Amino acid sequence: MSYLHIGKNFTPPDIYGKVTGRAKYAEDYAVDGMVHARLLTSPMPHARVKNIDASEAMAMEGVVGILTAEDVYPTEAPAPALLTNEPVFVGDPILAVAAVDEKTAENALAKIRLDLEPLPFTVDPVDSLRPNGPSARPEGNVFSEREMKAVSWSADDVERFVTGREPTAPAAMEWSYGDLEAGFDNAEVILEESFVTTGYAHMSMEPRSVLSYWQNGKCHVHGSTQSQSFIVPFLARMLNIEQADLVFVAEYCGGGFGSKIGAYPVLAIPGYFSRKIGRPVMLRITREEEYYVGSARVGFQGWIKAGFTREGRVSAVDLYIVQDLGPNSTGGDASSAGGAVSILYQPDAMRLRDVPVLTNTTPRGAQRGPGQNQIAAVFEPLLDKAAGELGIDPVEIRRLNAPDSNTTINADQGPITSAYMEQALVKGAELFNWSERIRRSGQRNGSKVTGIGVGQGYHSAGAHGFDGLVRLTPDGRIHLHSGVGNLGTYSYAATTRAAAEVLKCNWESCIIHRGSSDAHLPWSSYQAGSNTTFTHTRANYVAASDLLQKMKRIAAGELGGEPEQYDVADERVFDTANAARSLTYAEVAAKAIELGGEFSGETYPEDIHEVTQRAVQAMAGSGLIGVAKDTLPVRGTVPGLTVGFAEIELDLETGKHEIVDFLAVADCGTVVHPLGLAGQLRGGAVWGFGMASLERHVYDPQNGLPANVGYYQTKPPSYLDVPSSMEWAALDIADPDNPVGARGVGEPAMGSATAAVMCALSNALGGHLFNRTPVTPDVVLNHLSGQGQSAAPLAINTF
Amino acid sequence: MAAHDVMPDIELFQPVTVEDASAIARRLEGRGWVLAGGQDTYGWLKDRAKTATAMIDLGTIEALSGIEETADGVRIGAMTTLRTVSRDPLIRERYALLAEAAGKVASPQIRNQGTLGGNVAQDTRCWYYRRGLSCYRAGGNICYADSPEGMNREHAILGASRCVAVSPSDTGTALVALDAVMVIQNGGSVRRVPAAKFFVGPAVNITHMTVLREGDILTAIELPAAWAGAEHYFEKVADRDVWDFALVSIAAAFRTSGNAIEDARLVCGAVSCVPHRLNAVERAVIGRPRSEETAESVAGLASQGAKPLNFNHFKAPLMENLVKRALRS
Amino acid sequence: MTSNLSRRRFIKGVIASSAAAATSSAWYSAAANDRPAGAVERLVTLNVNGRKRPVDVLPQETLAHTLRYKLGLTGTKLGCNRGECGACTVLVDDINHYACSMLTHSVRGRAVVTVEGLQRSSGELHPVQQAFIDELAPQCGFCTPGQIMSAVALLKDNPNPTREEARQALAGNLCRCGAYDHYLNAVERAAKSLRAEGQIT
Repeated sequence: MSYLHIGKNFTPPDIYGKVTGRAKYAEDYAVDGMVHARLLTSPMPHARVKNIDASEAMAMEGVVGILTAEDVYPTEAPAPALLTNEPVFVGDPILAVAAVDEKTAENALAKIRLDLEPLPFTVDPVDSLRPNGPSARPEGNVFSEREMKAVSWSADDVERFVTGREPTAPAAMEWSYGDLEAGFDNAEVILEESFVTTGYAHMSMEPRSVLSYWQNGKCHVHGSTQSQSFIVPFLARMLNIEQADLVFVAEYCGGGFGSKIGAYPVLAIPGYFSRKIGRPVMLRITREEEYYVGSARVGFQGWIKAGFTREGRVSAVDLYIVQDLGPNSTGGDASSAGGAVSILYQPDAMRLRDVPVLTNTTPRGAQRGPGQNQIAAVFEPLLDKAAGELGIDPVEIRRLNAPDSNTTINADQGPITSAYMEQALVKGAELFNWSERIRRSGQRNGSKVTGIGVGQGYHSAGAHGFDGLVRLTPDGRIHLHSGVGNLGTYSYAATTRAAAEVLKCNWESCIIHRGSSDAHLPWSSYQAGSNTTFTHTRANYVAASDLLQKMKRIAAGELGGEPEQYDVADERVFDTANAARSLTYAEVAAKAIELGGEFSGETYPEDIHEVTQRAVQAMAGSGLIGVAKDTLPVRGTVPGLTVGFAEIELDLETGKHEIVDFLAVADCGTVVHPLGLAGQLRGGAVWGFGMASLERHVYDPQNGLPANVGYYQTKPPSYLDVPSSMEWAALDIADPDNPVGARGVGEPAMGSATAAVMCALSNALGGHLFNRTPVTPDVVLNHLSGQGQSAAPLAINTF
Repeated sequence: MAAHDVMPDIELFQPVTVEDASAIARRLEGRGWVLAGGQDTYGWLKDRAKTATAMIDLGTIEALSGIEETADGVRIGAMTTLRTVSRDPLIRERYALLAEAAGKVASPQIRNQGTLGGNVAQDTRCWYYRRGLSCYRAGGNICYADSPEGMNREHAILGASRCVAVSPSDTGTALVALDAVMVIQNGGSVRRVPAAKFFVGPAVNITHMTVLREGDILTAIELPAAWAGAEHYFEKVADRDVWDFALVSIAAAFRTSGNAIEDARLVCGAVSCVPHRLNAVERAVIGRPRSEETAESVAGLASQGAKPLNFNHFKAPLMENLVKRALRS
Repeated sequence: MTSNLSRRRFIKGVIASSAAAATSSAWYSAAANDRPAGAVERLVTLNVNGRKRPVDVLPQETLAHTLRYKLGLTGTKLGCNRGECGACTVLVDDINHYACSMLTHSVRGRAVVTVEGLQRSSGELHPVQQAFIDELAPQCGFCTPGQIMSAVALLKDNPNPTREEARQALAGNLCRCGAYDHYLNAVERAAKSLRAEGQIT
C-alpha cells in the first residue's frame, strides 16, 4: 500500500528542543517563590518510625516546612507509599523538608532525629520462603490474587528448589493447557534447568523530579512521565482533587522504560507539600534517590522443564517461577513470561506455576519486556541445547516452532492479530549470513573464541479503545491532539500521521498539541507496553475519519449532492463528479463554526472519556472537530516480534566478550517511521546487552543495604560495551487489525538481543548454560577455572 | 538515609604557590581538603560522608602542571591532567605504559579534568566505606565487606588487614612498575618517595591509602630514564570499558637483552590495598624470553598467597591470565 | 576477625552508623560569612557562551549548579551529579568537561560553552545539532546536550574522526535509551558538513 506519510521519515517537532537545550524537563522549570524539597529516606530495610523530632530542623533559618506520612494520600500495602511510617526498603521516603534552597534543606535533614524500630527483613525470596524465614511485610511475604499471604516452604521444598530439582512447593498461582504428561511422553529430548535473573533498576537518565504549585484553585504539576493523559485521573485521585483541577505538564520525559508509566508516588509529594506551605515546591530527585524510588525489574528464580520431539517441535513446557517483587506489587512478569513461551514455541502442553514473593529491596515495576525478556534469556539457550542434542540448526529449530497468524497464546490459547516469525528468521538468517557464520562457532583466535547466537523476542504490543481528537481551524491548519506521552520514541508524533494520512494533508499544515493537560488532549493509552503505535494509529485514524465524514457532510450541505460523492485532496473537499465544486479546508472549518453542534464540538459522542470530553468542551466553537473512541475490531493479542542475531568474541582469559556484529529483524507490521523503528531496535538491543552481561542489583543480606545506587555500580551499557554500528531490517507486512497495518516493537527488541547474546555465550563455550543474568566476567572466569561460582545457586540480588 | 548530592558549605582557597597551599593545609589542621581535579572529592562531599572546612585548590598553581625532560628522565607535574599524560608525545614515546594507563582511567571527561596526582592519591571505592558507614577505614571497628555474607566482589585477595578495600588507581600500577618517584613538598621541605612506598596498606595505616599527611602536597612524579623505552604491557579488566574501576589490572615493564628479560616489573591493580608488585613472577622471568612458555610456567606465581573473600575468587585466575598476557611477546 | 559476627550485630552496626551520621552535623554550620582571609571572592565574572556574565558564586559551587540555577542555562542536565553519565557536559576552553564535577571558581578566565551557545547568531543550528536531527539521534533527549558537547569537542580536536575515534571520544556520555549508533551516525554526518563548510569559507 502506498502512503503519503506512513513509512516515511519526518522531523518530530520536539527534537529541536532536545538539540538546542530549550527542551524543558520537569526540573528545568522555575517559578516565583519556589522552595526546594528534599527527602529523608529509610536507612533500614524494614522499620517502624516511632518518633520524628524535627524541632531543631524547623527552627533553622530558611527552612519552610516538613511533610510526613500523615499529610499525604495513604496507599494500601503493598503499593508503594508516598511517604511512610513503616519503610520497607533502604531508601523508602519517610518525610520531606522544604527550604529556600537545596543546601539548607539538606542541612535540615541532618538535624532531624528519627527513632526507628527495626523489623525483620529479607532481600532474597527463597530466604523468605524458608521455614521461619523473614517476611518483607508484617501482612505476609507473598502477594497474589490481590492478597497478602504468609507462605512458608518446608526445608525439603527449599532444598529441592535451590538444587535445581522439580519444585514440590505449592504455587500461589497456576495455569496450564494441554496434556503435560502426554507432551513429555512425546518428547525425544527433555531438558530440565534451574535459573535466576537479576531484577535490576531502570535508572532512566532523568531522575523523576517534580515541581508543583497551586494557582486559582488548580494544582499544577510538572513531572517526568511516559504517559500524558493517562496520568491525569490517577494523579488527581492521589492528590485528592477533581481531574479538572489538575494541570499536568510532561512535555519531555528523560527516559522511563516502564518506570514512569503511571502516576508514581513521588509525583504527588510536591502537590501536597505546596498546598501545605503555600509555596511552589520543587522536589529534585537525586541519582541515588532515583535508584531507590525509580523502580526495577522483577527478578526470577525458577525451574523449567521442556520437552522436544525428534523433529524439534516443543511438545511440553513446565515452568516454575519465584518472583522477586521487591516490597510492592506488580507480579505480572511470571505470567507474561509464560505467555511469551506459549506464543514463541507453542508447546502442545504447558504449565506455569508462580510464587510472587515480597522482598525489602527497591520497588519493582514493569521494565522493558517485563517477564518476556527474562524468559527469553533463559529459554532461548535451552532451545539451542535441545537443537544440539537433536542435530538441528538453531535457526531451523526456531523456524519449526515459529508463530504464524494462526498461533494462539496464553492459558486460554486465545487468538493473535498476525505473526510472521518464520519470515523474520529467514530474512535475518540471510542478511546475517547465518549458515556461513555458524560454522565459525567455537573458532579460536588467541585467547578469544567465537560465539554465534540467534534469539527471539515477544511482547503483547497493542491496545485499543482509546480516543482520538483532530481539529481543523479556519486558518486551514490541522491540529492533531495527542494525549500520548513523550518518552523518546517519537510515537506521539508518528501515530498522528495516521490522521494526516486520512486527511491527505501536508505534514506542514499539521500542528501537534501535546505535553500538558491544558493543551486539550484526548484520553490516551498508557505510553508503555510497546502499544502506542498500534493503539494510537487506530485512535488517530478514527478521529480523522470522523473529521473527514463531517467535512464531506459540510461540503454536501454547501455545494449540493450527497456526502459520499465527495473526497479530499490537496487540502480541499471536492465533488468527485465535478472537481471544480470544492471547499478549502479553511472554508470547511469556518462553516463548521457556523453550523455548531457536533461539527464544532458543541456536542460530542457519549462514549468518549471524560478527559476527552473536557478537551472538546474547551475547544468548542474553534473549528471542525473530529473526535471518536476507537471501536475498530481487534481479533486478539497484538504480538510484537523480533529476532536478533549476534556474533561475539569471548576472551577466555578475561571473561569479557565483544559483540562483533548484531542484526535485529522486526515483525511489527507496517513500518510507520523507519528511523524511529531503527532507534527502538538498536536501543532495545543495547538494553538486551545490558541484561545479558552487565546490569546488576546487589544487596547485602546482613543489613539490606544496596551496593549499587549509582550508574558506575548498576552498569548500564556505555558506547564501548556495544557494537558501534548495528544492522536492522523489518518485514513490513501489514497487520490486518490496524488501519495502517502497524504493530509495536520496542520491548521484544530487547529480549531478542538478550537471548542472542546468551545463546552466543553458550555457543562459544561449547553449549554451557549459565542459566543466569547477568553473565559477568567473574561468572565466566569461575566457570572456566573450574572453581565454582561465588554466589549460592539461585541466589538473587547478588553479584 | 539522606541521599544528598548538593555541595555543602565549604570554603575554597586558590593559592598560587605550593608553599601557600601547604601552609593553608597545616593551618587548617586536617580540616582542609587538598583538591586536585576533584573527581574523587566531590562525591565524598556531596554525600556528606566526609567533610572539610575548606578545599585547597591546587589548580591555580601553575608550577604543578606540565611535563618536562630532566637530566634523569621526565618530570610530570602532579596537576597535569590525565588527558595530557595520555596524549603527550614524550610520555607516549618513552613511557607508553603510563600513557596507556592514564588513557584507561574512567571516562574522557574525567581524564580531561582529573590529574595524575589525583589519580594516585584517590581513596578506595569500597562501597560500604563510600556509604559513610563507620568501618575500620572510617575510624570504626568493623569491616562490612569482610563479613560472613559481605558483598565483596571488587575487594582484595591479597595484603588485607582488617580492611579489604583495594587501590583503585589505574596509573598507580604503572608508576610502581616504572620505579617512579613521588615528589612531596611540605612547607619549604621536599621529600622524594618511591612510588612503591607511596601507597600504604591497612597494616601500616588503615585510614590513609598513601603517605600523604597534613600539609603534604604531591607536586610532581618523576620517571627515571632507566625505564624509558622499555617494553611494556598494560591491561585493565573492568565490567564496562568506560567509568568502571578495574576488577584486576596489570602494568608490566621489561628491559630485555637479546631475547632475555634482564629486569621486569609486574604490578597488579585492584587486588590489594596498594598496587601489588608480583615479586615472585619478576624474579622467575629474569633471563627468560617473553614467550608463551615463560608465561605458562610463571603465571601460577602471580596469585600465590591469595585469600579470596565470598565473591572475588575470580581475581586469582584473572591475575594469572593477565600475567600470561603481559609475558607473551 | 569478623567471621563470627552475627547478623544481629550487623543490623545494629548500620543503625548506629546512620544515627551517627544524623547527629555529627556540627560542621554543617560552617557558614560562609566567617570566611578566612585569602579565600575566593564570591562575585565573579564568567565567560559563558561568549558573553560576560557577572554572578555570585559560592565557594563550593559546581559549574553545573551555576549554569542551571544562576544563569538559567538548563540545557546542561543533571543526570547523576557524580561524573557517571555525561548529561552535564560543557566545553571549557574547547575541551569537554562534566560541569557537575568541577568548581565554578576554577573556570574564571576560561571560556565556557554550553549547548545554548552553539546556535549561530543567524539562528541557524550548529552543524552538529542539525546532524543530530537528521539522524534522529536523540530518543528521550536528556543526554543529548551532553552528547552534542562531546561531539563538538571531538570535531574541534579532530575534524576527521573515524567511527572508532568518535566512539572513544563520546564514551563518557551515557545514553540509557541506547541511541549510540544514531549519535555516531550524527557525528559522522556533522564532520562531513563541517568539512564542507570549511571548504566553502
